Amino acid sequence: MAMLDEPLYPIAILIDELKNEDIQLRLNSIRRLSTIARALGEERTRKELIPFLSENNDDDDEVLLAMAEELGVFIPYVGGVEYAHVLLPPLETLCTVEETCVRDKAVESLCRIGLQMKESEIVDWFVPLAKRLAAGEWFTARVSSCGLFHIAYPSSPDMLKAELRSIYGQLCQDDMPMVRRSAASNLGKFASTVEQSHLKADVMSMFEDLTHDDQDSVRLLAVEGCASLGKLLEPSECVSHILPVIINFSQDKSWRVRYMVANQLYELSEAVGPETTRSELVPAYVRLLRDNEAEVRIAAAGKVTKFSQILGPELAIQHILPCVKDLSSDSSQHVRSALASVIMGMAPVLRKDATIEQLLPIFLSLLKDEFPDVRLNIISKLDQVNQVIGIDLLSQSLLPAIVELAEDKHWRVRLAIIEYIPLLASQLGVRFFDDKLGALCMQWLEDKVFSIRDAAANNLKRLAEEFGPEWAMQHIVPQVLDNMNNPHYLYRMTFLHAISLLSPVMGADITFQKLLPVIINASKDRPPVAFVTIILCGFRVPNIKFNVAKVLQSFLPIVDSSVVEKTIRPCLVELTEDPDMDVRYFAGQALQSCDQLMISG
Amino acid sequence: MEILVEESNVQRVDAPVTICGDIHGQFYDMKELFKVGGDCPKTNYLFLGDFVDRGFYSVETFLLLLALKVRYPDRITLIRGNHESRQITQVYGFYDECLRKYGSVNVWRYCTDIFDYLSLSALIENKIFSVHGGLSPNITTLDQIRTIDRKQEVPHDGAMCDLLWSDPEDVVDGWGLSPRGAGFLFGGNIVSSFNRSNNIDYICRAHQLVMEGYKWMFNNQIVTVWSAPNYCYRCGNVAAILELDENLNKQFRVFDAAPQEARGVPSKKPAPDYFL
Repeated sequence: MAMLDEPLYPIAILIDELKNEDIQLRLNSIRRLSTIARALGEERTRKELIPFLSENNDDDDEVLLAMAEELGVFIPYVGGVEYAHVLLPPLETLCTVEETCVRDKAVESLCRIGLQMKESEIVDWFVPLAKRLAAGEWFTARVSSCGLFHIAYPSSPDMLKAELRSIYGQLCQDDMPMVRRSAASNLGKFASTVEQSHLKADVMSMFEDLTHDDQDSVRLLAVEGCASLGKLLEPSECVSHILPVIINFSQDKSWRVRYMVANQLYELSEAVGPETTRSELVPAYVRLLRDNEAEVRIAAAGKVTKFSQILGPELAIQHILPCVKDLSSDSSQHVRSALASVIMGMAPVLRKDATIEQLLPIFLSLLKDEFPDVRLNIISKLDQVNQVIGIDLLSQSLLPAIVELAEDKHWRVRLAIIEYIPLLASQLGVRFFDDKLGALCMQWLEDKVFSIRDAAANNLKRLAEEFGPEWAMQHIVPQVLDNMNNPHYLYRMTFLHAISLLSPVMGADITFQKLLPVIINASKDRPPVAFVTIILCGFRVPNIKFNVAKVLQSFLPIVDSSVVEKTIRPCLVELTEDPDMDVRYFAGQALQSCDQLMISG
Repeated sequence: MEILVEESNVQRVDAPVTICGDIHGQFYDMKELFKVGGDCPKTNYLFLGDFVDRGFYSVETFLLLLALKVRYPDRITLIRGNHESRQITQVYGFYDECLRKYGSVNVWRYCTDIFDYLSLSALIENKIFSVHGGLSPNITTLDQIRTIDRKQEVPHDGAMCDLLWSDPEDVVDGWGLSPRGAGFLFGGNIVSSFNRSNNIDYICRAHQLVMEGYKWMFNNQIVTVWSAPNYCYRCGNVAAILELDENLNKQFRVFDAAPQEARGVPSKKPAPDYFL
């Protein structure tokens, strides 16, 4: 209905639904704004729709947010770029509301529109808007204005530029910390549009003010400014202006500021250049690595590899490594976890000897950490170390620890090890693998946790792919087939699953000769005679039987059609007469596949 | 509903089967349970009730279990807990959750209608009696349970109420008053004589938080299984399920709450006042 009426009474519907009590309907109508504008035509959109929206701005934040977003892409509906300015008034109002998300979205949309406007239009419409907001009585307007200067500035004539710079300077000293924060976080963007000559004079003094702000929330935003301003300045100026600020910040009394420095350190070091980093930033970084506050150490620990890459092996060994050693036994598990997630990357930086001497002991202690996340982080990045020290050493030193983890009491740790096994197998090669890890892979198939058994079955398949069917025939298949006699149905199910995964890798012959007889046998799910005497009741578990039906179905494309007719079909037919309805269902499904195969084949 | 109505008050269950205790709307922890125990229908399951209330995802929890029941009625058995009741769910969260998520109480109404059809207990291979709460002074034989008309809201007293509410208690000899205000406390001698007269090996029940996930009492004559890890997201307990193989060999599988990455963050959660 609504769709039919739309071309006739679009504005009526919109107004109707905008006034509706149900917020969902109001939201829907805002989201359909472009459809409605198209129906109205450009002129009526300019003269009726936009003014209407400007007046209706005391709605729920969710509706206003949607409106702010829609208006950002509205230029085509008001008649193109020369009419873009009509979109500014409603967005200007949205820039002054209480809710931050709405304001941010309105600023974003304004910038998007501003980027498309002609220079003269910017001067006529956009700059006055920015100035009005900056002079706004309520702080929300001033907060929003800070995000518009980098669009307004480049198009303005010199006189206006001077004025804009001075206004921004005032915003940096505003009474409200929220405004200063916004000025601090937008300073980088604004600075990138300011000419070099003014950069040093005006912008740097604004930056200076912000770095001495008494609110730590303002100072920590200024930290980000360091990196973006640094990129605009000449290296020498950077060292003289930005570096002292960074050093100061790294000793700031507020840990949040220090945290920010630690977080931004790589960007900051890029700004001051590698040489200065080596000479000046290292002491600051070492201080952060040894900070009292765990949060700061977490952020700093996460950067050791990237930072060491800049320093090169000698400085890294001299200054960073001692801290890394201490961090590996830090009292906070989150610090150790952050360290573990990046430390493997230090191996290529430190090169072979230092890795063996200094890093390996740290890896080992982290591998034995009591917190599972720490252990996981190490395991998942082992290959980086392998490339440096070679597989022999890796296996000698770390493999015992890995084998230990393969029996970890947290199943997610075991899972991570299993998922790493195929990679390890390809690196170790067949012989080595057989000695050390072969037994583990079979052991996992009988794990207490289903997810591990499932992953173990998949692992066997990937190993068979890696080492080839012949190897699998010797090392995997016999054990798996033997275990189909396991007295516990969940384990038989795992082996059944493993067989179905292996068969496509093993090919038609082995599937027919070796795997199929075992599966057919399993369809009766009866223990072998020798077992019956020990265990009084036979298996006959329906779960096994209907999974047999599924496995047989998966065999169909692999084996010969004569095998299907002679062996598989009779077995399935028998299963369709089982007392259990799930067995009957899945056997029926498999039989249907048989029939389809016969028709298409 | 047609499936449930056919089930006996003492539903016969074949081994192998995995027995699970209270879930209480902890949907992501139940998914963890399936990761440890295996997916249905690969693994057979018996859930001992209290699917809903307290956790944030009672709707999802119960509907998943119900969907599995509809698709694989022979692979999963659900019996009723004391929280599968109109009165209790209005106080402990399920009602509010339905109202919040669907804007009406229809889902709650349909679910509570289904609760009335859930069986009251299960008997595994004639050897293991499973029930949510415990025993009742009105009941000495399984046949007495079979005669209850269960298709009703859980009453405030009587045999049906006791099965869902009672607790075993060390210091009680015979029957004692329950601090819960419904059901009874019962001692070891009650369990012994019930097991002997009904020729069963042991009773398996849920209903009480046990920090280690499971707990034997009275010389292995009754076991409590609890499957809600870190109960109410704050108790710090582990959970357990009891795997019985085809020869009734027992294996308890203990598991932790799902890690934070594996669960969605509940949107806008006003701390419900029953947590305080």
